[in-house]
Formats: sequence, structure tokens, C-alpha cells
Amino acid sequence: MGKFIVLAALLLLPVLIFTIVRRTGRKHPAGHEHGPAHTHRHIGHKHGGMLSIDYFAYSSKIRGWNPAFKVVLSVLTIVLCIALDNVYVSAVVIVSMAYLVIAAGGLPPRDYLSVLTIPLTFILISILAIVVDFSAGPVGQWHVHIGFGYLYTTAPMLKKGVFLMLKILAAVSALQLMILTTPSSEIISVLRKARVPGILVDLMNLIYRFIFILMDVFARMKNAAESRLGYRDFKTSCYTFGSVASNLLILSLKKAGAYYDAMEARCYDGELLFLEEEKKADIKVVIPAAAFVLYLLLLWYLTRQAV
Amino acid sequence: MKKRILKADNLSYVYGNGKTALDGVTVEIYEGEKIAVIGANGSGKSTFFLNINGVYAPTSGEIVFRDMTVNKKTLNELRKNVGIVFQDADNQIIASTVKADVGFGPMNLKLPKEEVLERVAQALAYMNLTGFEDRPPHYLSGGEKKRVSIAGIVAMKPEVLIFDEPTASLDPINAMMLEEVLAKLGAEGKTMLISTHDVDFTYRWAERVLVFCNGKIIADGTPLEIFQNGEVLRQANLKRPAMLEVYELLVESGVLAAANAYPRQTQELKEVLRDSKVILGDPA
Repeated sequence: MGKFIVLAALLLLPVLIFTIVRRTGRKHPAGHEHGPAHTHRHIGHKHGGMLSIDYFAYSSKIRGWNPAFKVVLSVLTIVLCIALDNVYVSAVVIVSMAYLVIAAGGLPPRDYLSVLTIPLTFILISILAIVVDFSAGPVGQWHVHIGFGYLYTTAPMLKKGVFLMLKILAAVSALQLMILTTPSSEIISVLRKARVPGILVDLMNLIYRFIFILMDVFARMKNAAESRLGYRDFKTSCYTFGSVASNLLILSLKKAGAYYDAMEARCYDGELLFLEEEKKADIKVVIPAAAFVLYLLLLWYLTRQAV
Repeated sequence: MKKRILKADNLSYVYGNGKTALDGVTVEIYEGEKIAVIGANGSGKSTFFLNINGVYAPTSGEIVFRDMTVNKKTLNELRKNVGIVFQDADNQIIASTVKADVGFGPMNLKLPKEEVLERVAQALAYMNLTGFEDRPPHYLSGGEKKRVSIAGIVAMKPEVLIFDEPTASLDPINAMMLEEVLAKLGAEGKTMLISTHDVDFTYRWAERVLVFCNGKIIADGTPLEIFQNGEVLRQANLKRPAMLEVYELLVESGVLAAANAYPRQTQELKEVLRDSKVILGDPA
């Protein structure tokens, strides 16, 4: 019976996490004042999933670091996590990435966790599928009878599951270092330098800008519809949603035309050229980063038998 | 005699849907002029601007910049020298940081990077935007966005600046700041064209007024000439500036002597009143 409760708890965990995510999400608008984000005057910032990530990146204290350096560090750490496949390495990465983003970057821990819970939910659900198996007979160290068979798990399976989870979490943390401290425009400029085809880079730049414009327009149309009782019941909501969506399409086409005119007026001739300034990679930052990577390798070398 | 900088000769423009937006517009613009372009919505002001900037190719007629007749080869020369600040800054700001957007025009002019950086810094300082370099446009207020869009044009150092309804959707403080910028640009001898619905602003700022109506220029003259011409005002659906009305009322009611002073700003009216401390009689 006790095992059954554990299983139920495991199943309920994602639900719980979702509730927490939604709560923290909702808490945000009121929580404007927290954190060192407000070194700049009167920034109107919007919340909700992606937009807050964008805002965190913009207000990070380590935004000034060379973006290429951050991308390389982050990708290298991900590769190490996966290639070394070592639980100590994973644990160190999780902690140090959180430290970098929170302590060096100045992101409030609560915001860091709230961003982390989104992938965490998916990780937990997939880990559950790995640690719990199904069999016809009562096998394994723990099993639950479910009418036509048994759900069971074993200590090695649990261990494997936890290690795998830590590995994924470490990789995700490394990615968080990049996305929570580097504005998208800088990541895109790194991609340009990495010789990603120009058309893709241009598209990314434009899409990134247009996301915000479309969201703005959408919010305005939604408010206008709401003020005229457009969402009073389910049927009306469906109808309004359709109208807003189709209007959005027409408006995007119009906006695209207006944008093109404005770009041409500024001598645009087929190639999107943006001013990108070099941020020098600070040696004081690069050396510890190199030491960190070496430390991970060393840790793996020393513990490779133990795991 | 001022030098002619831009000339539109019998300019016509028909949109793809067959709607005629410009119908034989002929106008000459001289160096350093401050021109207000007024007229009802849909009278062809914006289309005219896009034509003289080279974004739209006229259906018939031609544009002459200085002594150069504009054709496909010289189009970029025209765009380089005629800058246009669009009405909606959100339709103009293209890059994801202020600095990148202000640098967009200069980069397209294929200037060396040091020069671009210098121009961007100058334009940002000019528009009082220093410190906003790395700010993404979606974290700017409406007034700040407008200033960024102006800085983007100032950085290209055009000889002619066009503003399409710059004061629309600005609060009074931002509108005042805009007028200061216009004064600054005017002092540098830039030629400016501004389309507006604000007759008071037109009366106060402009040296010359073009009135558009149904794709034609129906009047071209000093603000005073335009606003005293009842026929033009009626045709273009315009009203008279408050300052002009007040002055004429004062003259009519005998408070001021009919001296043709025509003050354009409150300060000037004050001076006129002070100089002719007259007729008011005993307040008792």
C-alpha cells in the first residue's frame, strides 16, 4: 500500500509543479520591484514565459560578457555533461551554472527556479517512464499490482533514472546560462559569426523583433474585443478568437509592407546589416571558465571508476 | 537667392488597386526651407513623401534632386539625401537594440564601422538617448521610440528631413521636445518637410505651407496667406489657428491697432500686447 502512495505521489508531482509554475507566473506582475534589474529607468516590461526570459537576459549583470564566450562555454558544458556521463560532473554543473546566473548575473533565485521548472516538468515525466516498468509477474524490489499486471521498479533502475535526470538537468542548466544572460540579438550575432547562412540569421532577427510587435497588436485587439464582451462565453470566445486571428494575419501583411517601405527609405538593398559591437572577452572571465572545464574533466577522471 | 534642392515635376502615382493618390504634383523645394504639408487624411501627403524619398517610383512625372534627375541608378543617392521619419515608430524600428537600429541606415550607406559608431553616438546624443544603446525597442516608451526613429534618420545625415505626422500620439512633453529638435535641426540649415493636422503648430513653425487635396497641391504659400484664404481652408477641411483668430479678434474689437503684426507664438503676442498698451481703457 505504501508503495502505491509513493507511485501516486510521483504521478502527482508534475501536477504540483505545474501549479507552482502557474503561481509564480502570476505573482510576477506585482513583483516588479525585486532584484537588481532596475538599474535602468522606467522600463515597461511584460511578463509571461518567454517574455520574462527575454527580460531576464536583458537585465542580467553579466550581459556585458562576450556573447560568443558565453555561447561557447554553455555549449561546451552541455557536450561535457553528455559525453562524460558522470553524476559528479552533472551535480557540479547544476550548482555552478545556478551560481553563475544567480550570483554573478543577479537573477533572483525564485525567477531562476521558475524558469527551470518548465523543463523540469517534462524531465520528471520522462524519467517516470524510465524508472517504472510493466510486467506480468511480481518482479523487482518494489511492485504494485494493477489488475492485469504489475508496475515495478528496482534500485538500479531508480539509480539510473536519477543519474539521467541529473544529467539532463545539468545540460538544461548550462543552456540556461546562455539564455538567461544573453539577449537574443547577441546570440543571433554569434550565429552569424559562426557562419550560419545569412538568410536564417536575418529571419531570426526579424522574427525576434516581430514577435513583440505582433504580441503588442494582439494584446490590443484582445482588449478591444474584451471591452465589447467578446469573451463573455465559450461560443463567443471561439468566434472572437477566430476574428482576432484572421485580423492579425491581414495586419501582419500590412505591417510587412509598411516595414519594407521604411527599410527601403533607409537604403536597404537586400542585405540586413546591423551594427554589432565587439564585446571583448575578458581574460579574468575566460581563465576561470577554462579552469572550470578542466575541473570537470579532472572530476570525471578521478571518479570514473566510482560510478 | 536660395538654391533649389528638390523638385517634383508633374508627379503622379497610382496604387496597384487603381486608386490615384497623386495627380500631377509640381513643387520646388529650396535649401533650408521649413515646410508644413497639410491636408485631410488620404489626400496624398504620405504617398508624396514616399515618392520624393524614392521608395515609390512615380507612375509619371519626375523628381530632380539638385541637378540630378532621379532614375533607377541614382535612386540610392536620393534615399541617402532625403530621410523620412515614419508616423508609426513601430513600423520603422527594425533592429533589436537601439544602437543597432540607429546604425541600420549608416550601415546601409556602406560607411566604415568607425564612422558608423561615431554617427550613432552623435545621433543618440542629439536625441538625448545616450545610455539607451543596448535597450531593446520593446522596452521603450512611445516617446522614446519616436526619438529612436528620428535618431535613425539623423544618423544618415540627410539634407532633407521628412516627418510624417510626428506629433501624432505624442504627449505634450514629448511634442515639446520634438519641437526643440526641429528647432535644432532648423538652426543647422536642414531642409524639413512635416506633414501634420495641427494647424497651430503649422502656423507657429512653418515658413511655407503646402496644402494637399485629393492628390493635388491646391495651395502653396506662407502660413498667413494659406490661413487667410477661406476657400482653401474650406476645400481642405482645415480650421484656422487659434493664435490667428485671437489676434484678428483683438484687432477687430479695437484692443490692438491693425498693424499687421501677426504674432505666431504666445511670446510674440505678449510683445505685441505690451508694445501697444492702448485702448483697453480703465479697468474700473
